[in-house]
Amino acid sequence: MKTQSNLERVLEAGQFAVTGELGPPQSADSEIVRRKAKILKGHVDAFNVTDGQTAVVRMASWAACLIGKGEGLDPIVQMTCRDRNRIALQMDVLGIAALGINNMLCLTGDHQKFGNHPMAKGVYDVDSIQLVKMVKDMRDERKFQCGEEMAVEPRLFIGAAANPFADPFEFRVARLAKKVAAGADFIQTQIIYNVDKFAEWMKMVRDRGLHEKVKILAGVAPIKSVGAAKYMKTRVPGMDVPDSVIERLQGVPKEQVSKEGIQLCIDIIDQVRQIEGVAGIHLMAIEWEEAVPEIVEAAGLLPRPRFVT
Amino acid sequence: MNAQVQKPFEEILGYLEGKERIFLMGCGGCATVFHTGGIKDVDEMAEKLTKEGKEIVGKIGLPFAVFACYIPMSSMFLKEHRGEIEKCDAILMQSCGDGAQAVRGYLEEEMGIVKPMYPSNNALGFSSGGPSKFKEECQACGECELGRTAGICPLVQCPKGLLNGPCGGTTTDGKCEVDPTRDCAWVMIYKRLGKFGELDELSEIQEPHDWSKAIRPRSLEVEPINLLEELKGTKKVIETLGV
Repeated sequence: MKTQSNLERVLEAGQFAVTGELGPPQSADSEIVRRKAKILKGHVDAFNVTDGQTAVVRMASWAACLIGKGEGLDPIVQMTCRDRNRIALQMDVLGIAALGINNMLCLTGDHQKFGNHPMAKGVYDVDSIQLVKMVKDMRDERKFQCGEEMAVEPRLFIGAAANPFADPFEFRVARLAKKVAAGADFIQTQIIYNVDKFAEWMKMVRDRGLHEKVKILAGVAPIKSVGAAKYMKTRVPGMDVPDSVIERLQGVPKEQVSKEGIQLCIDIIDQVRQIEGVAGIHLMAIEWEEAVPEIVEAAGLLPRPRFVT
Repeated sequence: MNAQVQKPFEEILGYLEGKERIFLMGCGGCATVFHTGGIKDVDEMAEKLTKEGKEIVGKIGLPFAVFACYIPMSSMFLKEHRGEIEKCDAILMQSCGDGAQAVRGYLEEEMGIVKPMYPSNNALGFSSGGPSKFKEECQACGECELGRTAGICPLVQCPKGLLNGPCGGTTTDGKCEVDPTRDCAWVMIYKRLGKFGELDELSEIQEPHDWSKAIRPRSLEVEPINLLEELKGTKKVIETLGV
């Protein structure tokens, strides 16, 4: 094992992994984080805390992770390149490892234009692939990006994101291969609604043997309303929401749409589980953490194995 | 070229408040192309300021291809107009900030003339194209990446400056999430490399960019060119082109 991560142990044991997502509050309210962590506990192997998602100021990922860890969960810090240069990134890597956090997801980050401080200066000193390599070199070579050595390395299980749906489609697998070569241990994908396209992407992943080098967690999420589905289809860059998904939600009475959204999520989990090379799911019930226990149970993914307490 | 636009006239007048005798200077380079400091633009500014009650004690409209920022050229004109410049209360520079500061420095350090100097333009930086449409393509970072990015600079064309391929926000029709009217820089790079059959190059992990080359202010020393010889050469070439 490279780290103390529970997620790493679940994946190495060959178990189908489940990770969840905890949206941190736009305030210093620790109770919200604790409440959400309690909902996720026992239903996920590890949980992500987003890092200023959509470029909106929220509680720092590492801080909410630490609160969740106090509730007995294995946290995954999300770290974006939008707000930190290579100096700040490496300092945070050392800090989160020192706090006992075992997992980190390396992201480029949503552009500041989309957030609540659009006049902010973006940093983007390094990109997500360079960040993966930087953390890998820190962990495995005990080297900073500049080449200098450190005494105690940050033992982090390194994650990266992949979007099987964005253009250029053929290049998306090549980009995944770069993330793997850079040192990613696990991948969490963009939310999947177009299962056929995801399956096509996974075939290209298998053709390159990438599924044997990295653990791929398929991104899934329940949809609460028809409006939310339409919003994701038309307004969220890099999302692929087929018309059939919207039609399915439109086909039930209004008061049953959220229930149908949960069922759709369960169905997608069943489908992606059948695809060779999928090592688990990343369940993003954004601001709907209450849906997680129901989905995980109905998908037959309980009880969760527990390796690290 | 250094793209530029003129400041609002009210802002220019604000700078010149209390300054009655004004000296104007334009630029025969970028400012001429962008209509912010060509000979005609200097004349127009003189007329407008006169209407506002200012006295124009002198003006330099530099001929096309004579750059205010290039001292061997602009200094010839400055020396010629020494008397007028000495009489003025303020100089209005119709150039980019480069031209303005080059002239300010030369006047002060080489000609011993210390006068308030104000800009009439806002410079927008390197841009290419013309005669009417221009776009930003190079940010003069000091460490050119074009050799590993198919001749398209992602530090400029990608709002996130990514060096290892597109982010997850590229729209399904290959547009940029930050500005969907623009092509994703990495889709352009991908397509271009495909034309050469060099898509394999994209599998190489590119190291972080060396921003130490962009630490400001930068300065440089070179062997001077022989200006008159160069101009003669240009004249000859233009004649052969039949322009």
